[in-house]
Amino acid sequence: MSTLARIQDLAAKEFSIDPKSLDPHAQLDSLGIDSLSFIEFMFKVEEEFGVSVSDENLKGIKTLADLERHIVDALAAAGKG
Amino acid sequence: MAARRVAVTGAGVVSPLGKSLAEFHAALAEGRSGIRRLPESLAQSSGVQVGALVDWNPAPLLNEAEAVNIDRVSQFALAAAAQALAASRLDLSAADRDRIGVYWGTGMGGAHTLESAYKNVYGAGEWRVRPLTVVMAMNNAAGSNVAVRHGLRGPFANFSTACSSSAMALGEAMRSIMAGRADVIVAGGAEALLTPGTLAAWQALRTLAPADAADPAASCKPFDKRRAGLVLGEGAAAFVLEEESRARARGAPIHALLTAYGNSCDAAHMSRPDRDGQVRAMREALIEAGLEPNAIGYINAHGTATAVGDVVEAEAINVVFGAAAADIPVSSTKSLHGHLLGGAGALEFAVALLALEKGVLAPTAFLEQPDPACRVRHVRLRAERVAPPRAVMSNSFAFGGSNVVLIAERA
Repeated sequence: MSTLARIQDLAAKEFSIDPKSLDPHAQLDSLGIDSLSFIEFMFKVEEEFGVSVSDENLKGIKTLADLERHIVDALAAAGKG
Repeated sequence: MAARRVAVTGAGVVSPLGKSLAEFHAALAEGRSGIRRLPESLAQSSGVQVGALVDWNPAPLLNEAEAVNIDRVSQFALAAAAQALAASRLDLSAADRDRIGVYWGTGMGGAHTLESAYKNVYGAGEWRVRPLTVVMAMNNAAGSNVAVRHGLRGPFANFSTACSSSAMALGEAMRSIMAGRADVIVAGGAEALLTPGTLAAWQALRTLAPADAADPAASCKPFDKRRAGLVLGEGAAAFVLEEESRARARGAPIHALLTAYGNSCDAAHMSRPDRDGQVRAMREALIEAGLEPNAIGYINAHGTATAVGDVVEAEAINVVFGAAAADIPVSSTKSLHGHLLGGAGALEFAVALLALEKGVLAPTAFLEQPDPACRVRHVRLRAERVAPPRAVMSNSFAFGGSNVVLIAERA
């Protein structure tokens, strides 16, 4: 399963959204994901992939596609990519 | 202008005796106990043998994500409040929700969330803690969840006075409606703290009953010579309290009028109950209701089944009611549903309503050998059926010395 698909899977579960309706390029708030929910979601994403995203990078994440990019980078940096 | 009075127009219950008001009342009438041996995972770590757990499934009320992101105590609160609102037939979409508030009570708040975070930190040395820990565990989360879910934007308050928390929420809600600060308040309380750490803390206090050797369900025996302490429970109860003329105008079901609220503090000791403090709270309630003592047709006692507590409460009842005490039925239903702590006052108000509405007096179960030091007119072993009384009283006396007494009258 691709990194994005895994993220979409987690998001679908966390927010009780149909995974098919999760446009990776949609703004998170347009998906009904507020900042608090997103922080909790990030915690679970980090657990899933065994990496962490810095607070600074976190601020730039506006879509699930942004998130995927940071996770892929973090995995590569950790030699897990 | 006539004084504003407060009607009870809806009730909801999540308890060890069932997850609706009807199930709860049926179990009380049958004298069925919800106390059980605790699962090994809780008993072994804490040393506590018995408890009164809710057989809980968050679905269908909560979806999978909500079930993970909302603490058990808030889940109970949401379920009880949803039942109460539905039963009240209040049309929230048409109501001015700036005039509808939430007053809630809980002793500990999100105990499960807090304990799981600490378990990570101190147990596993894992300092990554769930980001939702704060908002799930905070003491006001249960009430806030109720307000958020139903968009109730009026006054909000959260009371945390141990075992009187939710009785205080009801009493203060009544006062706020009488004072015109709100027209409707969803008031109640919840507790969900049967976690290994919290159980261990209670066990250390040496006030918990061991399992009854013959029948674990009979482990809590208030007012009995053999009583050995309290049994912890969990759950929630919620009520829709509504200004009476508003309730009547919309043809709402009216269970009762909540007419009086006594509140006093022992100011004597952190845990030892004080007769005079309890007397002051009961007297204040009777004075506010404008009732003579003999107008009370049932008292739901605090009756935790501790050695000292039951005697002090029986003495206090005799001081307040004098000669009338010999004829006023008293019971402690903690023998059946356990002690819900912060949720106890609200749950037991639902017991008092059963007496008021149906004339069904729920018993102090397992009270086979009344302690002569607890000289009141017991409803014991089995429920009694009487003509519905004019008024009933519910007592909640807490650690910290907080005493709350509620009186409800027939509508």
